[in-house]
Amino acid sequence: MKYNTRHIINKIFTVVTAASVVLMIVILISVLGPMIWRGSSAVFFKSTVEFRKMQLDLHHRGDEAEIGDEISKSEIYRDFIYHKIDVFKKGINTDYYTDRVKQIYRKFSKELQYNGIKGDQLSRRRKFARGIRRDMEKAFKSLDKAEILQIIDDVNKCKGDERIANTKADEFFVLADEYKETIKNFDLSKRQQYAQALKEVEGLVRQLLGPRSDEPLPAMVMDRYGATRVDLAKELLDKIIWKRQWVQQNPDKPMVEEKVRRATQFAGTELESIFPYIEENFDTITIPRFTFYWQYFFDDSTSGHYFGGVGPEILGTLILTVLAMAFVFPLGVISAAYLVECASDNMAVRIIRMSINTLAGVPSIVFGLFGLAFFVLVFIPFFGGPSKPCILAASLTLAVLTLPVMIRASEEAIRSVPKTYKEASLGLGAGRFRTFVKVTFPAALPGILTGVILSLSRVAGETAPILFTGACAFGSVPKSLFSQTRTLSYGSYDIAVGDKIGMLVPHNQYGMVVTLVLLIICLNAIAIFFRAKIFRRLKGH
Amino acid sequence: MPTSTIKNQAKSDHIDSVVSLSEKKTSSSKSELDCQCPVVKAENFSFYYGSKAGVKDISMEFYPCSVTAIIGPSGCGKSTFLRSINRINDLIPNTSVKGNLFVNGHNVYDKNTNLVNLRQQVGMVFQKPNPFPKSIFDNIAYGPKLQGVKSRSKLQQIVEESLKAAALWKEVKDDLKKSALALSGGQQQRLCIARALATKPNTLLMDEPCSALDPIATGKIEDLIGRLQSDYTIVIVTHSMQQAARISRRTAFFCLGELIEYGSTVDIFRNPGKKQTEDYVTGRFG
Repeated sequence: MKYNTRHIINKIFTVVTAASVVLMIVILISVLGPMIWRGSSAVFFKSTVEFRKMQLDLHHRGDEAEIGDEISKSEIYRDFIYHKIDVFKKGINTDYYTDRVKQIYRKFSKELQYNGIKGDQLSRRRKFARGIRRDMEKAFKSLDKAEILQIIDDVNKCKGDERIANTKADEFFVLADEYKETIKNFDLSKRQQYAQALKEVEGLVRQLLGPRSDEPLPAMVMDRYGATRVDLAKELLDKIIWKRQWVQQNPDKPMVEEKVRRATQFAGTELESIFPYIEENFDTITIPRFTFYWQYFFDDSTSGHYFGGVGPEILGTLILTVLAMAFVFPLGVISAAYLVECASDNMAVRIIRMSINTLAGVPSIVFGLFGLAFFVLVFIPFFGGPSKPCILAASLTLAVLTLPVMIRASEEAIRSVPKTYKEASLGLGAGRFRTFVKVTFPAALPGILTGVILSLSRVAGETAPILFTGACAFGSVPKSLFSQTRTLSYGSYDIAVGDKIGMLVPHNQYGMVVTLVLLIICLNAIAIFFRAKIFRRLKGH
Repeated sequence: MPTSTIKNQAKSDHIDSVVSLSEKKTSSSKSELDCQCPVVKAENFSFYYGSKAGVKDISMEFYPCSVTAIIGPSGCGKSTFLRSINRINDLIPNTSVKGNLFVNGHNVYDKNTNLVNLRQQVGMVFQKPNPFPKSIFDNIAYGPKLQGVKSRSKLQQIVEESLKAAALWKEVKDDLKKSALALSGGQQQRLCIARALATKPNTLLMDEPCSALDPIATGKIEDLIGRLQSDYTIVIVTHSMQQAARISRRTAFFCLGELIEYGSTVDIFRNPGKKQTEDYVTGRFG
């Protein structure tokens, strides 16, 4: 009976421990799986023609002739859509006409001056032209169709007047006729409403298709191209086709979101047709193609990570991590050596040890502020460096952050070196220093490397300590220790808090996090490899 | 009564067998033993762990070119005393000493003692084989390198000599690059002896060198000690009285931190002067 009980308890113990391991694996997979799945979309995705155009423009990648062919194919559709929008826009947005009138008037007065007309003659003729201009501007502003037609008729009566005959002012009448034609099928009372809706549509279309071919190159790289990814393009398409609005259906209930076809907003106008047109020709316009964008890990990115990769982020993370390890490794090992080999067990040492343990639990943002207050404002300027956030300050802060971990791991490692090694070395006449360097340290190295592995992961992934001490969201690749750097951790943080950018580039945010995880795994693998190698050598195989 | 007679008979048999063993090796006469000047000399030496005495008031001498065994029950301070000779006990915090201990005429516990020189003159072999986790070559070259020997050929020569002296050369000459931890326990212990010999000491301290080894390896080490005694002053702490009788010329008996009796091995085992010694060597105590 007793034996049976023991047997059952042992079984339960095995089952519970195994179950906890399985649970852990399940949690790990359910956390990492979706993240890796979404992050991989930064590298594997369906690209549109705009992506290939961007790659060709910015990095000279791809076949120029082929891409040129694709661009010209899609441009036909694009130009058609923009043309439709332009025509519609003229009806509702009279700025165009007002500008034209102003231009004609200016040209007219220049012509007069050029022809040597002066004095009374000049002011008389200009006054007449000014009258026409004012009338026309009034017409453009008016919302009453009858009034507009009346004004245009009045203006047309001036045609052939000797004060303006055979001058540039003749263009006034051409313009007047053009406007009359434009407003013929137009409900002027809806002008305001149309203007707003059109602005929205134009913005979305522009995001989807990129700028028109005839307009000057936008200054921001982000504005030069339409949607580069099919998934983003589909989202934009959905936004173009459907308008979401909040509607109060019942005064007692909260507002509800409602999807309305945008085409209904423009019912009866020329613009109504472009919505089905875009939807039908979506594939022809975007030309989706499956892409493996491996350059993601090396490319620089445009502002806000809208395009491009995480090359500088990886570089920055590596620099910070390696530098921090370079600072913390000797410091940690030497401190641990003091605690194990030199310090006697007195009050001061006990306080030091307690402080180290406490330090390990301090929130990282505290280290960030400490880094700002000490390294940025005092320490680096003291040695003649600039008093601004920089790589050096950031890596020093990270080193301080992980120092407790490093000291504790090294202390354990050094303590666990068999006393007999030390005795043998001392028995041969070696001093304490030589014994430590030649015997204790090599034997403790695997354990110390465990500390390095723990520290590495922490350092590479921390955001708060570098927030004020050396990280930046945008900027060039660092040129010296005294410049700021981008990092993967800070980059994903910045996208997360940056207004709306995160929604535009979700793939990039996940991509950065997954890249960070991969980077940490790689760094750990290197450290584990070395540890295993040293361990094997110590074991004598 | 008959039981006691049998007991006495058994006792004298035991002593005879032990002494006959020792007599084979220690054939020199008593007068010859005393004429040499001592290498290690303790004068009223005491060693304290904090306030507790490890050894009390020891006065004895160790003579060159001979093996001296220290026997005694566990915790009697024989290891403490041995470890005081090359000051390896300094590792333990809160210890203090009283009295004098001379090695080659120099007071070991003098403030000006050069520990490096002392430990190179007085080699030590520990209870458990403790080669460094390095190659065989590096293990032996460790001491000479400390002495400042840099030339590779010189080191090679020292390694070969030491390994030959420790009777290990034939077994490992082809894989000096191999890790010392890949050797067997007995080989490791001989390697440790070779390592101690490489610094060219004149005294070897052995702290139960065979207690972790099997009988065959023990036999090899004992043979080795027998061969080394012509060149070195060897002090060996041992729990095995047979071993003390087999290899030593002199034996010291420690009990509770005090030196009870010190004399030639033959005398200690055949003719102990003190009751405590007699009880111990006959196995009635400890």
